[in-house]
Amino acid sequence: MAEKRFMVQIQNLEKFFGEDRERVHVLKGVSLDIPEGSLYTFLGPSGCGKTTTLRCVAGLERPDGGKISIDGKAVFSAGERVYIPTNKRPIGMVFQSYAIWPHMTVSENVAYPLTIQHRPKAEIKKRVGDVLKIVGLQGLEDRPAPKLSGGQQQRVAFARALINEPKVMLLDEPLSNLDAKLREQMRFEIKALQRRVNITTIYVTHDQGEALAISDQIAVMHGGKLIEIGTPHQLYSRPKRKFTATFLGLTNLIEGKVTELGGDSKSGRMESSKGTLSFIPAPSLAKGQPVVMSIRPEHIEVIKQRPQVSENVLEGTIKEAIFMGDAYHCQIAVGDQLLRVHTHPFLSMNIGEKVYLHLDPQSCNGLPAEDTEGVDESMMGL
Amino acid sequence: MTRFLNSQTLILIGCSLFVVYLAGIPLVMLLYGSIRSAPIGEPGAAYTIQNYVKAYFDREFYLLFWNSLKFALGSCAISFLIGTYLAWINERTNTPFKKLFMVMSLIPFIIPGILSTIAWILLLSPKIGLINLVVMGVFGLESAPFSIYSMGGMVWAEAIHLYPLVFLLMAAAFRNMDTSLEEAALTAGSSTFTTFRRVTLPLMRPAMFSVLLIMFIRSIESFEVPALVGVPARISVFTTKIFLAIHQFPSDFGLAGAYAVTLLAISTAGVLFYQKITRREERYATVTGKGYRPRVIDLGPWKYVTCASAFFIFLLAVIFPVFILIWSSFIPYYGVPSMELLERVTLANYHYILNYPLAITAFKNSFILSVGSATLVMLLTSVIAWITVKSKVPGRAFLDNMTFIPIAMPGIVLGVSLIWVYLTLPIPIYGTMWVLLLAYLTKFMPYGIRAASASMIQINRELEEASFASGGTWLQTFTKVILPLLMPGFVAGWIYISIIALRELSTSILLYSYSSTVLSIMAFDLWEGGQYTYVCALGVLMVLLLVAMAFVARKFGAKIGIAE
Ligand SMILES: Nc1ncnc2c1ncn2[C@@H]1O[C@H](COP(=O)(O)OP(=O)(O)OP(=O)(O)O)[C@@H](O)[C@H]1O
Ligand SMILES: [Mg+2]
Repeated sequence: MAEKRFMVQIQNLEKFFGEDRERVHVLKGVSLDIPEGSLYTFLGPSGCGKTTTLRCVAGLERPDGGKISIDGKAVFSAGERVYIPTNKRPIGMVFQSYAIWPHMTVSENVAYPLTIQHRPKAEIKKRVGDVLKIVGLQGLEDRPAPKLSGGQQQRVAFARALINEPKVMLLDEPLSNLDAKLREQMRFEIKALQRRVNITTIYVTHDQGEALAISDQIAVMHGGKLIEIGTPHQLYSRPKRKFTATFLGLTNLIEGKVTELGGDSKSGRMESSKGTLSFIPAPSLAKGQPVVMSIRPEHIEVIKQRPQVSENVLEGTIKEAIFMGDAYHCQIAVGDQLLRVHTHPFLSMNIGEKVYLHLDPQSCNGLPAEDTEGVDESMMGL
Repeated sequence: MTRFLNSQTLILIGCSLFVVYLAGIPLVMLLYGSIRSAPIGEPGAAYTIQNYVKAYFDREFYLLFWNSLKFALGSCAISFLIGTYLAWINERTNTPFKKLFMVMSLIPFIIPGILSTIAWILLLSPKIGLINLVVMGVFGLESAPFSIYSMGGMVWAEAIHLYPLVFLLMAAAFRNMDTSLEEAALTAGSSTFTTFRRVTLPLMRPAMFSVLLIMFIRSIESFEVPALVGVPARISVFTTKIFLAIHQFPSDFGLAGAYAVTLLAISTAGVLFYQKITRREERYATVTGKGYRPRVIDLGPWKYVTCASAFFIFLLAVIFPVFILIWSSFIPYYGVPSMELLERVTLANYHYILNYPLAITAFKNSFILSVGSATLVMLLTSVIAWITVKSKVPGRAFLDNMTFIPIAMPGIVLGVSLIWVYLTLPIPIYGTMWVLLLAYLTKFMPYGIRAASASMIQINRELEEASFASGGTWLQTFTKVILPLLMPGFVAGWIYISIIALRELSTSILLYSYSSTVLSIMAFDLWEGGQYTYVCALGVLMVLLLVAMAFVARKFGAKIGIAE
């Protein structure tokens, strides 16, 4: 990527709900830049403000502070008193409930953005046909909209959002109304569709699996603040914040204190109740600081005999082992802590057995322990 | 910022101001008028409490109060019993033929109050009442067993007119109750009766109470029965007293105002109480919008008893009055059905009505007012409902209340207020159709807002946001998305308003002039003139017009909106 153009830019977005004493601060200075053509996901637990941020971009909510621009043009700016109403913004939106108008047919629904601009009939007809083909709904033009299945309704919603060739497509948990199987399938379809029309897309979800599967970039949010931004791969394997590590997938946390940091900050050591451990440090870590080390269950290697290497090797006892088909999911007691470990299904795991655990330093992430910026502690360790 | 003076803001502000004008001005002027010493426009008028002194220190006042109360409570109780009983049979039992009940209950709903009152006079009058004559003949009685010209007769005529509303409201309440709550009680081991007492009744209580209050308000502001029955029987209630104070010569506007304010206070208390109840009811509403399948009680052989009792009620409440109206409309002079009269059946009454120039004017006026007020009220209240339900504009609760206020204004009180308004304000519409139209708008706004907000609440916010996100303006969104989705509620409200507008009497009677006569007023005048057979023919035509309008509205509504 030589030169990145940002399609949507959000700066210091502030939003309050309610009045007087019931006033709640819902967005606390959210800033992010969304590259053109990317599928960008807002991910976070329920109530963290993802939908609110999305609705601010759509103009359905009016922020109390900050600036939003789409394609370089300010659509909201508190300072310059700019507020472009929703219907004047170059967006398409797919709602959680799909919001298919029940009094119109499929083609009337899809054609709506063009009809209200009084485009010629022939043009509308052609474009409706084209966009229905893109979403795979040809032939259903004259169906009354309520007579569609959930998946079909969703495609109609996509077609309606796409037909006017918006610059940004906004999706608020578009899959949450579908059953599990269809949801899996639609993930791939959404991704494929987005690639095909190459449209900048903002996708809101609280489902981390979904976010990892389809996003080009993820913005992790919590309590109205941005926690971390990165590609799915970065966030999963090299998180910089404790919240990210715990919210995305399963992980184990071991607490300690930083004793050593490599000059290139590619390596570090910590002292913990389980001995000295090596890890890859997060950039904000400093020597002498409390640290938590995060390691995913699938990155812990279980060894029956005492291994040759001694670095990052712990001794433990198997407390629980559940056979999952593709793996054993184990809980292994190390000192006073239970670690979750996923092992190869061929390795027999006997409860009560003593084993050695190798924590590959390359997979150990040292993260600031007292990193509470924007993080509500009670939500940790989900 | 381009937020100001676009079409959205203009429409919203315009509608809000109009509502405040419709509801607020009459109220203010009524209070003002009741403390003025001389009729409007007269020089030397001053502020005074003389009107109230005159009203309250009259011994007759307390009799009046007592009569109004007896009449209202009696009508309320009897209509409630009949309506609730029928609703229960209809919704919760396996009584045969219950599909017919709905239709049977709706028929009296369509018959204007003035006609049903006339029908009951023709049935129960001591001299000419059909039922009296038949019973006297069968049992060989010397004198008439019943008299409509008594408190009992008034209560009966009013209750029969009101019970269909009870039926509809209570049927909805029974239907919407989550029967799994009752089933839970049954599975917990309580008997059917205990379940009814401990679960069903407490759950239904708020609904029952609110229906009772509506009936009370309706009967205390009722005009037709007190005017047609009470006045000859010398049983005065508030509404007729106000009417007479204005219709005497010279009119005593101040006294009418004092009585009107008193009546207004009573019905306002009722409405406030009602709102408090329903608000609480909403809080523990068991309705989730999902259609529950109500538990139907198998009555065993009792189902024939309930069926027979229901048909007996319908015989009394529907068949007799309808029969007497139709019969009387086809005979040359009023008389008890007999072979001799049957041979002289004639269309002369219809011929007379249809060739009577004033009748044509009245049909035209009523039709225009009914269609016009129903349409305008529904459009206006749809916009208001959008503001109060969907927007976050400050003051929307005030607007909601303003729209609802006229429900507490008895028709006759509204009439008095509007006399004050248009004789005082420099708007020269007194005595024209316009003043009637404004009166109807004010009077029916509360029904419109209820229908419109109930449907508005059901419209998912995203359906409208999807239109904004597609580039639609507010006006496009309102007309292309919201109104069509609102259509079922719109049509239901429209039908209801056009029906009650076509039979409106108590407000019009104080505001009409020769050229703005409406059908119910013409019926009233014909009746006062003793032309019974003409009234009945006029009444039959009126009912046919009502049925046709409701039918067309349903057809038309189904075409533009979504099928229900
Ligand atoms: N209209 C509103 N009035 C008051 N508070 C609101 C309103 N809308 C949202 N909130 C509050 O704002 C916060 C953020 O809401 P938002 O809908 O953005 O959450 P979310 O991240 O989309 O959550 P979810 O995953 O549950 O959809 C929540 O605490 C919510 O209670
Ligand atoms: Mg949300």
